Amino acid sequence: MSYFLTICTFAVIYAIACLALNIRWGWGGQFDFFVYGLVALGAYTDAVLTLPPQPKDNTGLTYILGLRLPFVVGAIGAMAVTAAISLIVGAIALRQLRQIFFGIMTFASVLILAAVIENAQFIVNGYTGVYGVPQPFAGVLDLSFGAYRWFFLGLCVVVLISVYAILQRIFWSPAGLVLRAVREDEFAAAAFGYNPYRQRLKAYVLGGAIAGLAGSLLIGYITAFNVDTWSPIETVLIFAAIITGGSGNNAGVILGSFVIFGLITQGTQFLPAIPGLGGQTGAVRAIAIGLLTLAFLRWRPQGLLPERHFTVFRRRWPRSLLPTRADNGAATPQ
Amino acid sequence: MTIFAHSVGFGIVTASIIALAAIAFSLQFSVTTTPNFAHGELLTAGAYGAYVMQKVSANLLLDALGAVLFGGAVAMILNLAVIRPYRRISSKRLTLFLVTVAASWIMQNILLLIFGAAPTIYRLPTSSLHSVGPFLWTTIDEEIIISAVVILALLHALLRYTKLGKSLRAVSDNPELARVTGIRYPLVLNVTWAMDGALAGFAGFVLALNIGALTPSLGFNFLVVVFAAAVIGGLGHPYGTLVGALVIGLAMGISSAYLPGQYSESIAFILLIGALLVRPRGIFSAAEWNMAE
Repeated sequence: MSYFLTICTFAVIYAIACLALNIRWGWGGQFDFFVYGLVALGAYTDAVLTLPPQPKDNTGLTYILGLRLPFVVGAIGAMAVTAAISLIVGAIALRQLRQIFFGIMTFASVLILAAVIENAQFIVNGYTGVYGVPQPFAGVLDLSFGAYRWFFLGLCVVVLISVYAILQRIFWSPAGLVLRAVREDEFAAAAFGYNPYRQRLKAYVLGGAIAGLAGSLLIGYITAFNVDTWSPIETVLIFAAIITGGSGNNAGVILGSFVIFGLITQGTQFLPAIPGLGGQTGAVRAIAIGLLTLAFLRWRPQGLLPERHFTVFRRRWPRSLLPTRADNGAATPQ
Repeated sequence: MTIFAHSVGFGIVTASIIALAAIAFSLQFSVTTTPNFAHGELLTAGAYGAYVMQKVSANLLLDALGAVLFGGAVAMILNLAVIRPYRRISSKRLTLFLVTVAASWIMQNILLLIFGAAPTIYRLPTSSLHSVGPFLWTTIDEEIIISAVVILALLHALLRYTKLGKSLRAVSDNPELARVTGIRYPLVLNVTWAMDGALAGFAGFVLALNIGALTPSLGFNFLVVVFAAAVIGGLGHPYGTLVGALVIGLAMGISSAYLPGQYSESIAFILLIGALLVRPRGIFSAAEWNMAE
């Protein structure tokens, strides 16, 4: 039972990270490698905001700030920092780079971020990383260990549902439509007076903030974080979840992250070990995820739950585009 | 001043390795137009091919042959088993990129499964340190530089003076026209992938010689450096890539003398970002590269 809780919590946290990448890749069409770096950056920011000041004795643990702030402030700070970094990276990368060039640029950026965090010891303790990060609301609630884990899962689910609700509103809002219009045909969208660069940048920053939120939940759960936890290639797992679930569809992305992170990454640990493999089951699992991604790209590129398209000729208009009560009858879309 | 000269010497060694890897990438990209993210794994495959060969014989040339054959075979398999099914349903280029990202992930984990995550020590042949002009090189360094120059000269001759080279250039210029004139397009693609793999495998072998240890992420960690050289030289331009490799190699070598060593790769990444922003078509590229494509 306790293991089941762990799986669910990880799957829910990763689902939030997947939603963040979905804004960039699914809605905006950007091949972004930076997203896992932003999850890590959110985790580090949350850590240095909620940890007590750096110990004076020679424990070797060095980090900046150490403000002992509550979790909520830490999470908001994490979102602010990741949004700001996304703004900088996005403002540079989105201006003229597209597709694979954008992918290479963001890949290089995340490697630079990793090199700085690993080598500048004073920021977040270099390669060893930070540990002993206080868990959210643990001090206030004073729950038993088992009860606290249920509480944490509940907290993550509440965050996931709120993020999902907000993104679902944006998806059907005019802003979401414009973003997908820019993805489909940049010039047509520009002809309607929308600046493609600004639309993409908005989506990029929104995705960054959500990735930071996922990072602060992640470190709240595992309480320790170092460079080993987030190699840039891990972004492949998030892409795998999105492609399995359905690029562009929020519900599909959540489903995909439960399939990848719940069922395959964590769930297969229950299965009897394959004889002769020893401790290498992680690699087998990773290969399985890779093959699953390739299969989906080949035979069902739209994923388990395809993106819902907005069609003029069907009666399903998003509520936000329906006329309000005041001008009802003046311009009915049917 | 001697520090500077020595760092230039190390830069030239790095540049030779990058040149081999980046020209392989550039050639493959210009002929097949597939952006191959799994290029790093071809290097790793070559390095492990040499490692396996080393258990049979300690002869450096035989090890190199193992690297070339293994790299070429892996590249052909990658083309036939992974990339071709997606080309056949005419996937978009971005989808192909994603496919190679997944392939890179799978290949790294297969190597992890076979060889384990701990660094495998590559037994180096005995070599001595001596100064050549202002530079300070080991015997291995010299062998790396000479082999790179010889191989690139051979490649140049192949591209320029043989019928195969002519058909490669024709496909790279205009695949449709090349097909009309009777060039066997699928064969040319296959040969290109095999050459790419063989060159990349050799590059992985000399990289392993230079570092002295192998991990399943050896080539992957080197990938962005290779991308940097290819982009600076103009993606898909084998000759410009040579200059790109020299720029990156020298920048990494010189910076490692004056900055903490861990940042030397970051210098390459910053150069890459700068090149992408300032002149995304590369130094020597005359053709208009459609960045939105």
